[in-house]
Amino acid sequence: MSRYKILQILVGAIGVIILIRLFSMQILSDEYDVKATKNIVRTEVEYPMRGEVLDRNGEYLVKSRVCYDVMVIYREIPKTGFDTMRLATILEITPEALKKKLKAAALSPRAPTLVTNYLSQDNKLLLDEGDFKGFHTRFRTAREYPRKIGGNLLGYVSEVRDEDVRKWEYYEVGDYIGVGGVESAYEAMLRGEKGVSYRIYDSYGALKGEYNDGMDNILPVKGSQLTSTIDARLQEFAEELMVGKIGAVVAIEPSTGEILIMVSSPTYDPDLMVGRQRNNNYAAMLHNQRQPQFNRAVKAKYPPGSTFKLVQGLIGLQEGVLKASDRYPCSMGFSYGSRKMACHAHSSPLNLRDAVAHSCNAYFCYVFRDMITNSKYGSVKEGVRVWNDYVYSFGFGRKLGTDQYGEGTGYVPTPEYYDKGYNNSWNWGTVISCAIGQGEMGCTPLQMANLAAIVANRGYYYIPHIIKKIEGRDSIDSRFYERQYTLVDSIHFVPIVEGMWRGVNVAGTSGKARLEGWDVCGKTGTAQNPNGADHSTFLSFAPKDNPKIAISVYVEHGGFGASIALPIASLIEELYLTDTITRPKMVEDVLNFRPNYTRNYDAKQQRYDQKRQQSKK
Amino acid sequence: MISEYNMSSRGANTSLFGAVDKLALGLYIAIVLIGVMCITSASYEPESANIFSLSHNYMKQIMWLAISSVVATVVLLLDRRLFHMFAYPVYIAGILMLLGALFFGREVNGAKAWFEFGSVRIQPVEFVKIATALMMARIMSDYAFNIKRLPDLIKVAAVIILPFGIIVLQNDTGSGLVLGAFLFVLYREGLTKYIYFPIIFTVVLFVAALIFDPVVIFITLLVMFTLYNMFKTRELFGHIRFFCLVVLLSLLLTLTTPLSGYASLMVVCGVAAVVLAVLALKTRTLMLLWPIAMFVYAMLFVPLADSLFSHLEPHQKNRILTFVGLVDDPRNVGYNVNQSKIAIGSGGMWGKGFMEGTQIKYDYVPEKHTDFIFCIVGEEWGFVGSFIVVALYAALILRLMRMGERIKEPFGRVYCYSVAAILLLHVLVNVGMTIGLMPVMGIPLPLMSYGGSSLMAFTILIMIAIRLDASTSEKDIYSSL
Repeated sequence: MSRYKILQILVGAIGVIILIRLFSMQILSDEYDVKATKNIVRTEVEYPMRGEVLDRNGEYLVKSRVCYDVMVIYREIPKTGFDTMRLATILEITPEALKKKLKAAALSPRAPTLVTNYLSQDNKLLLDEGDFKGFHTRFRTAREYPRKIGGNLLGYVSEVRDEDVRKWEYYEVGDYIGVGGVESAYEAMLRGEKGVSYRIYDSYGALKGEYNDGMDNILPVKGSQLTSTIDARLQEFAEELMVGKIGAVVAIEPSTGEILIMVSSPTYDPDLMVGRQRNNNYAAMLHNQRQPQFNRAVKAKYPPGSTFKLVQGLIGLQEGVLKASDRYPCSMGFSYGSRKMACHAHSSPLNLRDAVAHSCNAYFCYVFRDMITNSKYGSVKEGVRVWNDYVYSFGFGRKLGTDQYGEGTGYVPTPEYYDKGYNNSWNWGTVISCAIGQGEMGCTPLQMANLAAIVANRGYYYIPHIIKKIEGRDSIDSRFYERQYTLVDSIHFVPIVEGMWRGVNVAGTSGKARLEGWDVCGKTGTAQNPNGADHSTFLSFAPKDNPKIAISVYVEHGGFGASIALPIASLIEELYLTDTITRPKMVEDVLNFRPNYTRNYDAKQQRYDQKRQQSKK
Repeated sequence: MISEYNMSSRGANTSLFGAVDKLALGLYIAIVLIGVMCITSASYEPESANIFSLSHNYMKQIMWLAISSVVATVVLLLDRRLFHMFAYPVYIAGILMLLGALFFGREVNGAKAWFEFGSVRIQPVEFVKIATALMMARIMSDYAFNIKRLPDLIKVAAVIILPFGIIVLQNDTGSGLVLGAFLFVLYREGLTKYIYFPIIFTVVLFVAALIFDPVVIFITLLVMFTLYNMFKTRELFGHIRFFCLVVLLSLLLTLTTPLSGYASLMVVCGVAAVVLAVLALKTRTLMLLWPIAMFVYAMLFVPLADSLFSHLEPHQKNRILTFVGLVDDPRNVGYNVNQSKIAIGSGGMWGKGFMEGTQIKYDYVPEKHTDFIFCIVGEEWGFVGSFIVVALYAALILRLMRMGERIKEPFGRVYCYSVAAILLLHVLVNVGMTIGLMPVMGIPLPLMSYGGSSLMAFTILIMIAIRLDASTSEKDIYSSL
């Protein structure tokens, strides 16, 4: 074979090899088609605007404001670098923090990595002008609270945790989710629907248009706007009055079950949970032993104290062991066996009405004893069981089924509980303190407010709720429109309401709560507890007929019911009913009032801080 | 492809145009026009106010094309004897230009290989290819030249190695390797084929030394050596025994002495090589001496390969390591090749269409209008377009070879072969690089890549070949003058 031929074959062979390679790459393999599309198309999540929350009068409780996440794709940063100082200034972070973030981004150079969040709209424009290649922004919304109220009530928005991502298909790492309060309970409505866009970017990271003319894009759907039952002005006033006090205030509109106020004190400024400082703020709250993030209004278990006498009296009347005219003697207390349940000085004997007005301990001990020891039940145990059913029907010892996140049950002792605790040997004397809302009884402030609403309604309630309207829906859940009846007939409420009215307006423990022309009804409570001074509590509704507001105030270690809980409740009622405050002295006294927490919370805080210091060392 | 009819019909023409090989000219024009189209696709800006402004790359290239046409015409009008006459001065001028660039030139991408006149940059190496081709043709067409004689071979080697050396000093080794194309010419001119085998063997060893453990390389060589001997001597067990003996002894040595496995193997193989060589000489089985020599050569070369490699420039090392797959570097060298493969591979059968290639349009392929211009063909015109371009190049190369064959005098033949070889190497390396068959070397795709000096140089290179070919048929015109 001539060398010419051989060389011809060589040239031909080289051509064929190249063509085979081209054929396999272009025709046989899909790999490069996929890669080419992946190269230019970036799948971007379009975050919707989160729904806002209005108060009952249309004022914003929670607003959404536009902010941006700043992302970087490390690979697209020009090799010549960029003005680090300038970028750090625009992003409002330190150059060191920026460098640290870039280092982290270098680990996955093709993926968009978060540099910082909560960039304001103005700074976003600066960033766009600066033309920092490789950096881009992502639309987000952040929460804003015009009145800075309702920390626990509203909850907050936070990045999803890994377990949420695993649990719910909707969420991906980096998404936001509502935590606690309204944000959590109404998450599905507030969050809206995420969208997706497919955009074409050139190799420098410059946007070149929509892929497939945006035909594949899915627009985000804005979250629904919620209208709350809360009265923002009232809520703010109540939070102000509760400053420095630990406890809760809950007010309900009895005719609807709408929650007008819900204060858990200490509360916190919800704005603390937004922005770049949120982690620090959160940690500070975590270390605070007064637990500002513990929603006492729906979770705490407080002994209801004398306010529970209302329930006790009602059960007695319904069960026929008590008539409104029955009188019981009280000589500074109720003696049983070798023990005595103390009472305060008042005239004796009293009928039911006046026993309520004067909050006589002995009276209700007689009632309770007479009930559970009644022979028709066969045993004390069965008596307590019947009593249990009544108490449950008032919403105690169980969840009310509200729309509140993390609602607590409180506690109502059962025969089984006593069997276990007293080794099956117990009698009416063992349980007698329940008669006056002491002993093992535990109620949430919401349950107590609901009790006020029940009495105001003379026997029924609507499940308390905090959202009354959801944008795009005709109604809220049907359960909130149904009357929930107690096991006590309406007729029996008459003497109890009368007693509550007299306690305020004639003679009794609640005199200070009187509001001219409004027929306020009230019941004080002074709950003993092992941690310090008595808890101060007050239940009230007004006016007596067609009540507009039912309220419960609970102040830990606040002393007598009349000393602090009563004035707080009364001032709120006055503001709600009359739109004015006529007793500035009372406001001042309330604001200046500071319960003594040295034995309880302050001591706890001290021990906790010491422990932390030690573990730090 | 080339019909005898075509050949004979040429003779009838007496005008210069009639004598010119129209197929070669046509292929040249086709390739250049495809090139301009690709550059247009790469650099067209729809927002631009004046699409005919000379600030656009495609307009610049069209301008260069116009200049090249003038130059081409001039070349075709020159007396063929001029090329013979000016071979020496042109070569010397070429060498001086290279030296000039080395000392006074401008550095671009690390290579000091450019002259700059205002906005025009010229790379002398493009023209040195012409000079070297002419010089080769001149020397090899001398009366007394015989490629089988050592002094003549040395002369030829010097003509190639002198510019190559300077280009390496310019730090432009990739361009320098193009001069290796002359091995193709030398083969045609009768250079012994035994020269090519060691060259290929060395390249293979070099790459193997980078990828594999030396022990693996030598065991492989040993197996090949044994198989070769078995095949040649038609004997089985003796060779297997020998193979096992070498391996076992090496193992023994590794286990009993502090020597490493590699060192033990070398010691045993060294001894074995000496013993075998002596035996082969004694028994006059001389055919064994070749493989033994190659084995010994490998033993010397493999340890050298590493140190040779370490003398390369970092970017060269990187390109080679990326090519052989030892380094995954998607941000730098690997990025170019990766994006280039994506562009071509996503072209499919018919391509994405003119100016519709996403890899091109959105700037994912770097150097898309220069070294990686084949990506535009692959992505926008698909396999069909790629096939046509590759076929056009193959046809031009084969046509040049055919022209060389039909020129009866050696000057024209050597020259035409040189042009064919230079084109072949450029196309192979450039296209091979874009589809991952070759390591990245910064050499352009002839006639297509953007760049005036490259287009001009290849035009002149090819036009001289056409001119020399045309002379065969119009010899009479000049001789009658």
